[in-house]
Amino acid sequence: ETNKPVEPAQPTAGMQSLKSARFLQVRSELVNYPGGIKSPNPALNLGSRGKGRQYDKEFLLQFQEVFKEKPSVDWDMKLKETVGDSTDSARPQSAR
Amino acid sequence: TAPTNDSEIRTVFDDPENFNVKHPLMNTWTLWFTKPPSGKGDNWNELLKEVISFDSVEEFWGIYNNITPTSDLALKSDYHLFKKGVRPEWEDTQNKHGGKWAFQFKDKKSINIDALWLHVMLAAIGENLEDEDDKEVMGVVVNVRRGFYRIGLWTRTVGKGRGDQGKQVLEKIGRRFKQALQLKETEMVEFSGHTDAAQAGSTRAKAKFIV
Repeated sequence: ETNKPVEPAQPTAGMQSLKSARFLQVRSELVNYPGGIKSPNPALNLGSRGKGRQYDKEFLLQFQEVFKEKPSVDWDMKLKETVGDSTDSARPQSAR
Repeated sequence: TAPTNDSEIRTVFDDPENFNVKHPLMNTWTLWFTKPPSGKGDNWNELLKEVISFDSVEEFWGIYNNITPTSDLALKSDYHLFKKGVRPEWEDTQNKHGGKWAFQFKDKKSINIDALWLHVMLAAIGENLEDEDDKEVMGVVVNVRRGFYRIGLWTRTVGKGRGDQGKQVLEKIGRRFKQALQLKETEMVEFSGHTDAAQAGSTRAKAKFIV
């Protein structure tokens, strides 16, 4: 099933960065985070083999106020179709 | 047109609008939502909706910061955060032989369900609930009900077939789950098998393990 693009709204710079950014090579690249940002706990990933890594809660929580972009330009519509408003679960589908 | 050098690592902390690396998760996760029944005989398949899948820390926060908080959901709603490819149902072949750790928060007003659910999701996507070789965690779930909130962690097995070791792995996972929920030592988290629960005709089957 494909969602027809209803309105070609422009993705924000943050949305585009998220799309184009590459994955950090967590086992070979060392990141110098800006001052005040804690690195992930290094003890968590000794001997890990996957593409991703383990992250401690303290590290993850630092993103909460930093990245607030919607996942896509049609997110509000998508959210309405899935999670919806608590009141509209019985609302009829719009005309097709 | 930003005059930046792309050989340099720029995280979202350096520039939230123009970053060039993101933080990979160990697994791809799918968020699901169960709509409350409308009372008109809707079937479960129409109520269980796949919302979105993601595999980076940044994507997780973009979703979390733009989705209805658990505390605003209607009664009989659920959020499920499961590894991609696993439906959050007993009937999924990957869950058939599994079970779940669960805890009910009966005093809904005295707890912050949004913080608790967030911390459990972070423990899941940050891979703090199990060790890499355990391969037990299928997903986590929050149920919004009239008398309680319940948070659960689904596992692939019920600890069978590996002797005592299987039980020990599940209990270790149960303790980490309990820690993520910030429960007191005296607040017990219970494990039950999905099929036990199904046969009892209720999700409140007799606990198999307790931590």
